[in-house]
Amino acid sequence: MTRLLITEITRRGPAFCVIGLQREKDRIRSVRPVTATANSWLHFPYQRGDVLQCDLAPFSGAKPHIEDRVSTAGFEKESSVLEPEVVTYLRQAETAGSVPEFFGCALHENKSGSGLFAKLPEAKRSICGTVTQNLRLELCGNELRATVALSSGEVLRDLPVVDRDWRDFIEAAMAIRRGANRLARLQRFLNSQFHYKVLSCPHHFIRLGLTRPYQDLCWLMLDTLIPLPKQDWLEEF
Amino acid sequence: MAPIKDESHWRRLVEGCFRREAGTPVSIPNLGQDLIETGVLDSMGWVSFLRAVESASGMNDLGALLTNRVPSLENIFQAFKEAQAENSSLQAASNTRHAVIGASIILASSCAAVGSRRIPSEEIDRAFGMPEGKLRLRAGIETLAYAAEDENELTLGARAAQQSLQAAACGARELDWIIATSETHRAYPPLSAQLHSQLLVRETCGALDVGGACLGLLNGLAVAQGLIASGQARTIAVITSDVHSRIFQPGRVAGEFGGLFGDGASAFLLRAKNGSTSEQTYALGEFLFGCAGQYAGAIRVSDASNGNLDVHFDGEALSRAAITRMEKVILDVELRSGIARSSVQGLATHQPNPRLVTLLAKQLDLAPDKFPSVARTFGNLGSSTCGVALDAILKSARRNLAAECGPIFLASLGPGLLFGGGWLITI
Repeated sequence: MTRLLITEITRRGPAFCVIGLQREKDRIRSVRPVTATANSWLHFPYQRGDVLQCDLAPFSGAKPHIEDRVSTAGFEKESSVLEPEVVTYLRQAETAGSVPEFFGCALHENKSGSGLFAKLPEAKRSICGTVTQNLRLELCGNELRATVALSSGEVLRDLPVVDRDWRDFIEAAMAIRRGANRLARLQRFLNSQFHYKVLSCPHHFIRLGLTRPYQDLCWLMLDTLIPLPKQDWLEEF
Repeated sequence: MAPIKDESHWRRLVEGCFRREAGTPVSIPNLGQDLIETGVLDSMGWVSFLRAVESASGMNDLGALLTNRVPSLENIFQAFKEAQAENSSLQAASNTRHAVIGASIILASSCAAVGSRRIPSEEIDRAFGMPEGKLRLRAGIETLAYAAEDENELTLGARAAQQSLQAAACGARELDWIIATSETHRAYPPLSAQLHSQLLVRETCGALDVGGACLGLLNGLAVAQGLIASGQARTIAVITSDVHSRIFQPGRVAGEFGGLFGDGASAFLLRAKNGSTSEQTYALGEFLFGCAGQYAGAIRVSDASNGNLDVHFDGEALSRAAITRMEKVILDVELRSGIARSSVQGLATHQPNPRLVTLLAKQLDLAPDKFPSVARTFGNLGSSTCGVALDAILKSARRNLAAECGPIFLASLGPGLLFGGGWLITI
């Protein structure tokens, strides 16, 4: 049995992608449980911070998704830890401070528009944590995007935000039942309170991930933004 | 928001960006078609496409305006219309300003001055302790222009400025502003003030230094354009001057970096156009600027505590960044101006080294001779590379009296990674 501290639950389309931390002797590393037939889960009723028991096949996935492990049975929740403690563990897992160190390779700019990608043979892993100096979320044509200033001074723009909780929060903020001017209210929140709530949080941390290869390119995403949004923030705008 | 353009301009621009994203063979979708729902673009492609339109059009809030709307071309055009209607008074002002800019700020003259010593690159290889032939073979640099003992930023800049004034038959007292830029002059009084004294301009002529390193010329031209367009000035000299050979010396920086640079200056006289002229002349078009912070780590230069220069230079990352970003800038200039790059007289761009210029020409499917050979014979001249290249294109256009001269594209980069582009048109 493997004990996994769930740190990432991401969503693109209808399915969830999950990553957890596994302790291996004195090392903590990221592990992505996948099913035997798919990389994602259509149903995943757990939260970040849950400690789950599971059976994982011992072999790694193909580069750069070397964190993949096939889950051979279901999950069983054992306990849970609080958000600050999750970050304490994330800081002991894969981290880097500058662009070339994230995935052990160069990140390339999309010449035709926006976005950054790693080339399939170059990327050595698919997940990495980092601290930020500044962070901004915005909606661009219905899509949630993040711009991140790193402590190295580098800036990453237009990262698709795939963090399930943040996506759920934005969708809840835009729900029709919330009345008029929802977009303007959300934009005001993202430009003001959001900044304070996220950046002043003592355990603020992000994890960046790479998509599955598409035409040999793996695109950069914002997998996790901690602190996770709180439901009662919706009452503030 | 960019100045008002006619509908066909927007259509061309949007279709150009769409083809960049979706690929040339893909036909333009129906106006009302949901581009994501019908699988024409995925969500990544949609955002990328919107960012490309924002960048090429200057309409920076397009993505926000399209939130809660069906992702379609129709809605993009609708957003253009709404934004223009909402800002009608601003747009009217912008349109008027544009008319002034487009028609009446001319490049009256130009001049370049490079360091008078011409050093074979092999000599520089030896001085920096590199294998002989490295600069020639790896970077394509054959010779470098180095300043003589009696030359510096001031003398080179002043020489270029004097000749530029003479070429336009413009007295120094006519200057309203001197705008100077240099990536190597790090002393006070600033270069603009020293040039002010040297050129004996009026005391009430303004003197301004602008930064941006290799992007300095474009920054200077944009500032000058603003000053003239707002009516605060009629005649401005924009001067670049860089003497790298005294800073990037063997023992202070690595040869792979320091060996690339030469010394030079350029000067441009900008004037508000008076009435009509029978002579063909170049006028400033628009400029676009930005900063691609993901490349900030590729080059960093700072003073070390021991008096040396602390240079962080990731040549491979910087080359990749330079090519990618310069190509993007030129494509944006092409879309925004509506001028096909194949029709330009030449491209005055930054030239980190000759190999990258060749590569850029290839990427853009342009003949290499559209880019004047600056770095090959003089080295990378910093803020003056673009200036010396522009002067070369202008001189060749002047020689070409019989033929109609094409527009000129400008594109440059600076550490950060700052980027900028623009164009000149004949009037």
